[in-house]
Amino acid sequence: MLFGQSDHMNSVGEGCTDLKREYDQCFNRWFAEKFLKGDRSGDPCTEMFKKYQHCVQKAIKEKDIPIDGVEFMGPNKDKP
Amino acid sequence: MKIWSTEHVFSYPWETVIKAAMRKYPNPMNPSVVGVDVLDRNLDPEGRLHSHRLLSTEWGLPGIVRAIMGTSHTRTYVKEHSIVDPEEKTMELCSTNITLTNLVSVDERLVYRPHPDNPDVTVLTQEAIITVKGVSLSSYLEGMMALRMSANARKSAGRTPRTVEHRQTTSSGNIGN
Repeated sequence: MLFGQSDHMNSVGEGCTDLKREYDQCFNRWFAEKFLKGDRSGDPCTEMFKKYQHCVQKAIKEKDIPIDGVEFMGPNKDKP
Repeated sequence: MKIWSTEHVFSYPWETVIKAAMRKYPNPMNPSVVGVDVLDRNLDPEGRLHSHRLLSTEWGLPGIVRAIMGTSHTRTYVKEHSIVDPEEKTMELCSTNITLTNLVSVDERLVYRPHPDNPDVTVLTQEAIITVKGVSLSSYLEGMMALRMSANARKSAGRTPRTVEHRQTTSSGNIGN
């Protein structure tokens, strides 16, 4: 059974796509094999995520994408 | 303001559906999402996984509209917050556009849950609140947006687990506005 493959998707920062795909593969494996099975052992993808993030945040600044930082309204909050 | 909602049933258990939903993009049936990035991910004290993602989309606008707006304005961005609760078996996604906000506001909420009567089946509830700024175009544009969202949702519900077959049961129905 095949699923959709976000690890074949591009990053908003063109130069970040390889880092993104590496991270996605790590995350998808952890998500399916650990997290959903109730295994609370640590996320093995943190280092990969840091590298990927560093690249993405730079791209977001360069492209002036109005992110307002990572904190924003959640499902139960009202729009400011 | 237009509120639109729909419900869809997948003939697969919840874990299967959300694994596919988490990896939803790209899908050849929805070329408009061209980029996905994870901005943050963390576990809360209750053990739920929070993800904040940035999606970039390319509107499939007709040529004349692109000519009027300028092609640089067809790339739009959406931010999405999702919460996966592996114990309660819910996955909730909330998204809102962060560009074109002076023209339109599209807030979407999706919830995946096991069907109350059948644990091998998953129900997706999708709702959107669309607010168009500006008076004269609002009713027309809201109607168009709602129609488009409705069509996309029907496609989207088919896309979410890309090759996971689903069946829209006659009892689930679509709740339209």
